[in-house]
Amino acid sequence: MQEDSSLRRVDPSRRDPHWSATTFFVVLGLVVLISILSLFLKRPISDATAAMTGTTLNEPVTQIEQYDYGFEPHHITWRAGDQVTISLHNRSTTHWHEMMLGRGYDYTPSAFGPIATQFDTDFWNGIHVTFSGANHVDNLCVNKAIAKFIGPMPNIVTGGNFSPTLQPGGSLNMTFTVPNKPGTWHYGCFVQQYVHYMAGMRGTITILPR
Amino acid sequence: MIDILLFAFFWLIATLLGEWGVHAMEARGLYYSAATSQALDGEKAVAFILTMLVPVIAFVVVMLIYTAIRFRSRKSLQFRDNKVFIGIWVLFSIALNILFFVHPSASALEQMFNNEEARLNRHDLIVNVTARQWEWIFSYPQYGIQTAEDSNGNSTLYLPVNQNVRFVLRSYDPYHTYDPNGAVIHDFWIPAFGLKQDIIPGETRLEYVHTNKITSYDVDPMVRVQCAEVCGPGHPFMEAPVHVVSSSDFMKWVQAQRKLEAS
Amino acid sequence: MSANAAGLSGVDTANRQRRRIAPPVIRGLLWAAIGFLVFNTLVSQVIDRQPYDPFVTRVSATVGWAAAVIGWLLGVGAWEVIVRPFFGHPVEWDIPNDWRRYFMFSTDHKVVGLQYIFTTTGSFLLAGLAAMMMRMELMNAKLWVFTNPGAYLTTVGIHGTVMMFSVGTVALVGGFANYFIPLMMGSNSSAYPRMSGLSHWLLPAGIATVFLSPLLGQWTTGWRAYAPLSGQDPSGIVFYYLGVFAMTTSSLLVAINLTATIIFNRAPGLTWNRLPMFGWGILAVSLLTIIWVPEIQMTFIISLLNLIVPFSLFEQTGSPLTYMESFWLFGHPEVYIIVVPAFALWQEIIPVMGQKTLFARQWGVLGLVFVMLFSGLVWAHHMFTNMRNSEMLPFSFFTEMISIPTGFSYLVVLGTLWGARLKFSTPTLFVLMSMFNFLIGGITGVLLADPVINLQTHDTFFVLSHFHYTVIGSMVFTWLAAAYYWLPKLSGRMYNETLGKLGAIWVFIAFNSAFGQMFFVGLRGMNRWVAVYPQYLQNMNFSISMFAFLLGLGFLFNFVHITWMWNKGKPVGQNPWNGKTLEWFGTPKPGIATFSPLPHVETGFYDYSENTPPTPSPPKRM
Repeated sequence: MQEDSSLRRVDPSRRDPHWSATTFFVVLGLVVLISILSLFLKRPISDATAAMTGTTLNEPVTQIEQYDYGFEPHHITWRAGDQVTISLHNRSTTHWHEMMLGRGYDYTPSAFGPIATQFDTDFWNGIHVTFSGANHVDNLCVNKAIAKFIGPMPNIVTGGNFSPTLQPGGSLNMTFTVPNKPGTWHYGCFVQQYVHYMAGMRGTITILPR
Repeated sequence: MIDILLFAFFWLIATLLGEWGVHAMEARGLYYSAATSQALDGEKAVAFILTMLVPVIAFVVVMLIYTAIRFRSRKSLQFRDNKVFIGIWVLFSIALNILFFVHPSASALEQMFNNEEARLNRHDLIVNVTARQWEWIFSYPQYGIQTAEDSNGNSTLYLPVNQNVRFVLRSYDPYHTYDPNGAVIHDFWIPAFGLKQDIIPGETRLEYVHTNKITSYDVDPMVRVQCAEVCGPGHPFMEAPVHVVSSSDFMKWVQAQRKLEAS
Repeated sequence: MSANAAGLSGVDTANRQRRRIAPPVIRGLLWAAIGFLVFNTLVSQVIDRQPYDPFVTRVSATVGWAAAVIGWLLGVGAWEVIVRPFFGHPVEWDIPNDWRRYFMFSTDHKVVGLQYIFTTTGSFLLAGLAAMMMRMELMNAKLWVFTNPGAYLTTVGIHGTVMMFSVGTVALVGGFANYFIPLMMGSNSSAYPRMSGLSHWLLPAGIATVFLSPLLGQWTTGWRAYAPLSGQDPSGIVFYYLGVFAMTTSSLLVAINLTATIIFNRAPGLTWNRLPMFGWGILAVSLLTIIWVPEIQMTFIISLLNLIVPFSLFEQTGSPLTYMESFWLFGHPEVYIIVVPAFALWQEIIPVMGQKTLFARQWGVLGLVFVMLFSGLVWAHHMFTNMRNSEMLPFSFFTEMISIPTGFSYLVVLGTLWGARLKFSTPTLFVLMSMFNFLIGGITGVLLADPVINLQTHDTFFVLSHFHYTVIGSMVFTWLAAAYYWLPKLSGRMYNETLGKLGAIWVFIAFNSAFGQMFFVGLRGMNRWVAVYPQYLQNMNFSISMFAFLLGLGFLFNFVHITWMWNKGKPVGQNPWNGKTLEWFGTPKPGIATFSPLPHVETGFYDYSENTPPTPSPPKRM
């Protein structure tokens, strides 16, 4: 081949092809390590980070994005007595998603054992909620919350816990005063036969006492 | 020559053993559980093909073992051709494949197509099956049942025994009709019924079975509806129990369902 | 490049004083990272901003990935070897004569072959680990290893995709064929050495893309990426399409290169009549690849656009079946891309091990070629459960008929075995096992070709076991046979016969126990793609998992044994098996021309009869 002749000469302007083995193995090892960590430990690491910085309040506006199949963020901190607006947005282009908030589970029996269908205690019971900016809301069940609407009125349904269900690309704002129910609460999406929740669409809320 | 005879002997032994094995499996039920005439047809086809192929399997396996052991101590016998052997091999493999194509492939398929002829299906039980992510919805238009469910709200399928059943299969989401492109491919499979049919969004597919045995999910877990085509994270949970019952029990169930829906 | 060893020692001393180049792989990673960041940011923040302003969108990930792959290829050496020379600069790419050559762009077919062998083995182990995770999950009917069913399905998809496009399609073709086809053709180089160097580096890019797909999101479709599910899945599927694009492009370039090598680089006297069986096999496979891989690439590109634009081509308002049809149009020839080289290797190894004339060679060639021709006529048997009834019979017919040319491979090997004084070595054992496994795969294939039976067994573990018998059972077993057979050529050392046989028996028993049971669990109602399943199947699945772990350990054992013997085995002469094909008469050392001068072929390679001299005569050197 043509390049052979040039290879035999030692041209001082050309660089030494014996690249550093140390650089190679160290950098490659780091890249592999980072890949493994980001593949398997993304959620534990972000949870640990959230636990360490847990006192950062997601107020006054809490942006929550729903995607297939999860929430971003999946950890939220509020302080009882503060006024908070949840700005819920469904980022998925194909699936509708809801957001329930509560504690404990209601179960239905199935061939695979009991399946969680919704939260047992509805966080929203008795809370005054102002809904605004409803856009592509599939349906809204307010259950025992006291609702007030600004702007377009979403499709109201009854049955089950408080849950706004958003169409793909939909969004909704919910403004309320955080009740004095301190502790850990959960949020999740139970649509499509509760599979979204099983698939990982869940998060936790820490409510700090006032 | 002695090699050929010896080989033929081992081949015969292996074939007999193999046929005995196939026969034993056949007696136990190749499909484990067969609750429709379609499943029995399938089992027969498997049994026929295996019975015919056992000598072929035995030939190759015995040959592999025999040649590996038998000729080790000698000098290699050199030849590059044997017209008789090649001729038999080629003609036999063509003949065997044509046989399989004629029977059971074409013949069983003809029977299956016949099952689907409209003139033979005037008195079918019609079950509308809707697959959505991730549940089955069964309705019985002839009996005015919208969604067949048990008391827990889980979908369930009841069928009378000795009856032609026509499943009308569709994949869409009846609760979110604004999303025409949300549906995916599912597959309607009842393992004990011996056949399955993909459900394609935007199309209506039919599946015909003839139930021939009283059985249910409670006694045989193969009597269940199971989605067989991956359809997302909920795929394994797309399952519904099936009950094949006598026609009087079926009518009782229909009455109970109607009452349940009316309430 | 092949002669760079000539003035090597002088170069080495002089090199000491000069500035070192950056490790090409590290430079490739850096350029890839820069490429991704720049183009991803440009798209997601400037050109195509989306609501709520996510930093990585499906569109930006696609464009960023393309930039990253180009950066990676340039970084590992394409910049010096391809781009700069194109603009008239001299080639300034020196390759050290040590292990470093395997981690940089190389145009030496032996180095490229070894790079492929390493990459394939690595991806086999990683995707095998994914399989072990799946089997671990299936030990219990409930979710216990994975936290959610989507994660399990993503693992299934990664396992299938990597095994298919980086092991099945590549192991014997990209790896052993890149190394040995030029040797068997009596040539010092493949036909397009620079393209060949480029093709390898696409493979790790593709593997990494698929393994990192969960960073974008889960994908639940498995390796077939069926629409419309692919159109509504989370975003990880984007990296599936892109990774597969890189891997298939790699295969395509290999196929073009090897086809041209077989056609144009044959040594004088190596006529078509004398072409080695492995040459025929690789030619058939390469033609299959050249015909069908562009087809699937177009299908995947359309699916990707369908997802990211988005269109509704394969959704309810489009045509869902069109995707499946386009997929299987490639998908079945793919199976033969995997096994045809294995068939060819049986016919290569057995005459050497038996020191016996190849029986009915012309039928063997006919078989390989007709399998290749027929493979495009059988694809719709993957669609008996959803196609029109009228299409069932023709596809059933061709599917049954393809067993005839497949059978010719058996005809040839069995005829060769008859009366042969077989050397019962590890490669022999692996070939015989591979033939047994493919027999089981073929018999169950005849059952599956029957539409009525197919309607019951489709999408169950029966089918899963069937195709693992054809892929692991025959291709991977033959791959190991080839590794043991050619180890003396690759390393100049011999493996340990006892350990080799132990490894063969180990994987054979574990494989048949694990996958043999899967036929029955499938018939009992175990469907595919489930992380949880009815309780009554748990015992059988538990037992399958145990043998699957044993199989995984068995493969590991074989790889460790081969690696160990590669470095520490007993040195052997250049033709320990008394083979007659040309690779046994050169001394392949990476970086050095194998044949000097080129050999001249005067007879075929498979004649061991009395009238030829008893010791194999080396092809006469000119």
